Amino acid sequence: MGQHQLNSLIKMANQIAANNTHIGDETAEAEMVANHLSKFWARSMKAQIRDYLESDGSELLPIARKAVAQLN
Amino acid sequence: MLQYFDPDKDYGTPASVSENLITLEIDGVSITVPEGTSVLRAAAEADINIPKLCASDNLEAFGSCRICAVEIEGRRGTPASCTTPAEAGMKVTTQNQRLGKLRRNIMELYISDHPLDCLTCPANGNCELQDVAGEVGLREVRYGFSGENHLQAEKDHSNPYFSFDPSKCIVCSRCVRACSEVQGTFALTIDGRGFDSKVSPGQNQAFLDSECVSCGACVQACPTSTLMEKSVIDAGQPEHSIVTTCAYCGVGCQFKAEMKGSEVIRMVPYKGGQANHGHSCVKGRFAFGYATHEDRITQPMIRDSIDQPWQEVSWDEALNFAATRLRGIQDKYGRESIGGITSSRCTNEETYLVQKLIRAAFGNNNTDTCARVCHSPTGYGLKTTLGESAGTQTFDSVMYADTVLVIGANPTDAHPVFGSLLKKRLRQGAKLIVADPRRIDLVKSPHVQTQHHLTLRPGSNVAFINAMAHVIMSEGLEDKAFIAERCETEAFNAWRHFISEERHSPENTEAITGIPAAELRSAARIYANAKNAAIYYGLGVTEHSQGSSMVMGIANLALATGNIGREGVGVNPLRGQNNVQGSCDMGSFPHELPGYQHVADDVVRARFESAWGVKLDNEPGLRIPNMFDAALDGTYKGMYCQGEDIAQSDPNTNHVQAALRSLECLVVQDIFLNETAKFAHVFLPGSSFLEKDGTFTNAERRINRVRKVMPPLAGMQDWEVTQALSKALGYPMDYSHPSEIMDEIAQLTPTFTNVSYKRLDGLGSIQWPCNDAAPDGTPIMHLKSFPIGKGHFAITEYVATEERSTRKYPLLLTTGRILSQYNVGAQTRRTDNQIWHDEDVLELHPQDAEDRGLKDGDWVGVTSRAGETVMRARISDRMQPGVVYTTFHHPDSGANVVTTDNSDWATNCPEYKVTAVQAVKVTEPSDWQQRYREFNQTQLGYLNKARSKETAAGK
Repeated sequence: MGQHQLNSLIKMANQIAANNTHIGDETAEAEMVANHLSKFWARSMKAQIRDYLESDGSELLPIARKAVAQLN
Repeated sequence: MLQYFDPDKDYGTPASVSENLITLEIDGVSITVPEGTSVLRAAAEADINIPKLCASDNLEAFGSCRICAVEIEGRRGTPASCTTPAEAGMKVTTQNQRLGKLRRNIMELYISDHPLDCLTCPANGNCELQDVAGEVGLREVRYGFSGENHLQAEKDHSNPYFSFDPSKCIVCSRCVRACSEVQGTFALTIDGRGFDSKVSPGQNQAFLDSECVSCGACVQACPTSTLMEKSVIDAGQPEHSIVTTCAYCGVGCQFKAEMKGSEVIRMVPYKGGQANHGHSCVKGRFAFGYATHEDRITQPMIRDSIDQPWQEVSWDEALNFAATRLRGIQDKYGRESIGGITSSRCTNEETYLVQKLIRAAFGNNNTDTCARVCHSPTGYGLKTTLGESAGTQTFDSVMYADTVLVIGANPTDAHPVFGSLLKKRLRQGAKLIVADPRRIDLVKSPHVQTQHHLTLRPGSNVAFINAMAHVIMSEGLEDKAFIAERCETEAFNAWRHFISEERHSPENTEAITGIPAAELRSAARIYANAKNAAIYYGLGVTEHSQGSSMVMGIANLALATGNIGREGVGVNPLRGQNNVQGSCDMGSFPHELPGYQHVADDVVRARFESAWGVKLDNEPGLRIPNMFDAALDGTYKGMYCQGEDIAQSDPNTNHVQAALRSLECLVVQDIFLNETAKFAHVFLPGSSFLEKDGTFTNAERRINRVRKVMPPLAGMQDWEVTQALSKALGYPMDYSHPSEIMDEIAQLTPTFTNVSYKRLDGLGSIQWPCNDAAPDGTPIMHLKSFPIGKGHFAITEYVATEERSTRKYPLLLTTGRILSQYNVGAQTRRTDNQIWHDEDVLELHPQDAEDRGLKDGDWVGVTSRAGETVMRARISDRMQPGVVYTTFHHPDSGANVVTTDNSDWATNCPEYKVTAVQAVKVTEPSDWQQRYREFNQTQLGYLNKARSKETAAGK
């Protein structure tokens, strides 16, 4: 697993989360973020962020963590 | 819009748009025309051609030459037909002895002060004065030629592209009027009175020293050889012409490429061009010489490593080398270890083929386009809110706008022909609001004065647009009927609740945006209260960490005020390059097949799989920045890059260069050894827009034909190269002409169903969607409904960018473009446009300069967290304190060494518009620049070695 991509992915996932936390419903917000990741991220990117969540995940915002956990 | 006129004919005065028709009689012929049509034009429409000199149908009637005099029954004298409106029942005579004598007398006076050097004159064979002399039967000049005259008037050769020979001038004012009415620059005037009258650039300045922007409108308007292209003076009159489409910005101007054999003599803007109506800018009109520049590479080249000289090889050898390398990488690192990028400079057919090659032959979706780094947020934002990833209007629609809001765009520099049209509307009285950190020319130009220039701080766009929407909603200025009928109720209610919160008020966001609350409120009221209000925006909207949010915020504003679905309104992204819209339409993005159809949609994918005969991946691929990251992590090893110069144009150059160095096979297809090609292992020579057939789609979704006017210098058009590479990869394609590629696009793309080359040739151009529901295309979108049914209000929370000024980096850098150069400059740097801009400079406010002890022209080191570069300082009150600006047209300036990897949250479009920097006075180039110069010399040496072998071999 490469660090360059992982650092970018964490930043990107957090950015997506930060731009989608306005509903006041964490479940719905996490679903929006998960949909975005699912629709726009490459297979390898999804796999890498999932692996990161499983191994650590500490740098992900709470909504981003919930969203990544939903990725298939 | 369908055309009902002959674009090659000059009808003398502009067409009337009146719907009331009147009938008159000219030379006994009954003619029906719209009210307001001149007698001259009415006659011309019936093919009764009254001689004229000062009249031209792109200019208002002037009535100065009197050659077009006619007789009208019941009226005294011989009125000028150009300034006389046709009236019902009027009986006009255009030819008789009296009129013939009058015209001969006028011509006699003109010719008595005109050089009689017709046979050696550059306009010989294409001179209106000569033609009219022939038409009126001029046989003698009784006044002689020895009287006082202008024959010794001094010529002005200062402009690199055209000469001014006042001795040939008949003072018809067509050039002056073209500069004013068409271009809107007002650089020319008639100086003096009576016999002393003369055309004067500026205040009796040379053309080059005046405000002239070299659009060429005056040259085109000139009926003699007074203003003449130097290329025609050198080569003589062209002998045939072919209509094609400009390869510069997203306006999509059409030109007649006027030729001698296979040599372009001049490019003349085509009156039938439905985006430009016969106007042009300095780039499209004059800057085409790059196409035959000595730097063109016409022989394929390969090398094992970028530390080796190039080796010139045959096409087969190069293509097989590339295919073997790419397949070898996939065998070693996996199917997803390679990918490709196309450019918005390529045709639709080329970008379609590249994404097809990647999806079908590479077997993955690692395809992207340079639209990633400019307008990808437009695609995301407009699809989310309006249901289609495209602008809503025609350019001509601006002529119906009452208020125009320009956000983060600089039309007079980056989209000059649209800029001229916009200025024309503003001179007619439309109101203008500009939101831009920098004072662009549009803010104040001749007869144009913006109502409000909102000098917002870089990075505060979303706070600004939310504040605009807050004013509209809190003051009850929204269009309730439109919202109720055309928009999703639930989403609107949620948005209304969000936007009505007091934190979005101009007073509460003033500290973020820097815009005085009262001024923003006034601007919001002007926008909301206009009968027709249109928004035009550019990369100052998209190239931000919240680019997509801002696009959605703009759409929200248009929806809330009902400014969608008719002439004069809309959301109009001004696309940077010629085919940004098309490259996106053609499925270049990794998550979308052509027509914005998602790869995960099984039904869609099945159609493509059936047509292409191959199984397709159902997961999105890597986007350009993801490719770079993966390359640095060692999982992405090979890339096919067509027509794009990512090493210069993409942000954080050090990062990009490191990624490119890590590739095991980089295949570059381009017309020059661009910055990216210096990291390549295979070079496939590309063809310029003059050497190929295809289509470009401009910012108004208009598909324009690109026509081959000369053979490809390297022997193959770009689509043929992609096809040959695909064959070498074991996935043969079998197109014999780009029209067949378009037929396949039409078959697979619901918005292109009725598009074909035959229909494009017949209609001139087509604005998609073009299908059974809209057989001739769709000039204005969303007339009655949206592709998603109802308009969707998106919630756009302002999230501050991480890139903010600090004690270490106290200034905010924003980057952009200027008129004379284009994008990375690969084309325009190889033309005489260099005379206007031969280096990128750092513009900064006088106070920021004084604080740093900087004078105009000093070397200034610009440092960000990403890197450092050095350029000259230009002190400019265009800038607000704390904000600096530069362009990225020259590789050596290293503008993108400084920009960072920050990007839009939704699309990864880089945040070129906000970089925290420090600027200090320095005396030598940066370390990066010194390394760049060394690397560049080495790579050019490797190229020269290959070329010298060719010379030695006597090829």
